[in-house]
Amino acid sequence: MMQILFFGPVAERVGLREMQLEHRAGMVLQDVVSQLKATYPAAFEIVCFTAVNDTQTREMQLPLHDGDEIVFMAKFSGG
Amino acid sequence: MSDPVRLQEGDFSVDQEMTALRGTSLRIGGIASFTGCARDFSEGREVMQISFDAYGKMALFEMDKLRLEAIEKFALIDARIVHRVGVVAAGEQIVLIVTGAEHRVAALGACHWLIDELKLRVPIWKKEITPQGESWVTPHP
Repeated sequence: MMQILFFGPVAERVGLREMQLEHRAGMVLQDVVSQLKATYPAAFEIVCFTAVNDTQTREMQLPLHDGDEIVFMAKFSGG
Repeated sequence: MSDPVRLQEGDFSVDQEMTALRGTSLRIGGIASFTGCARDFSEGREVMQISFDAYGKMALFEMDKLRLEAIEKFALIDARIVHRVGVVAAGEQIVLIVTGAEHRVAALGACHWLIDELKLRVPIWKKEITPQGESWVTPHP
């Protein structure tokens, strides 16, 4: 399984702070984005940053592995 | 001594952070600080509270990285960064940056740079709680 995390305004639009997705052989980041975007289109309107295992990435062809943690984030507004 | 980079729910003491920074070296000749506070208005609306959510481990990692970058970039002797999470009432403190250097120019420049970079790079989000409802803040320059 892969752990998916949401924070702040993205979590509010998804209605969850975390979920699990089954990992399939050959999966890349784009597969997860496409699947979640279809289910939560409003949340993905504001997603600006993605992190896999604590590292931000824009590489949508990044291979995913069982146990990966994927985070979707809106533009930051701290301070 | 407390960690120089922290996320915490409770308030912080500017005096304690400055004392901790000053205690790190007798070479410090200038200390600059920035304290961000919760305003009681925003875009014409009353704001009662601000709620902060953070991706904790990445936020701390980025804050640590920012501190080390600032120390190198501005030749600081030390720096401290504290940011609150959870609910902060109007008028309370939100974030503190304290920088110490041999001279004021480096301390002031680093302080300004750190708060600007923190806003861009640290995964924290704020929601304003008003009598009319709640809304996430859209970042502005």
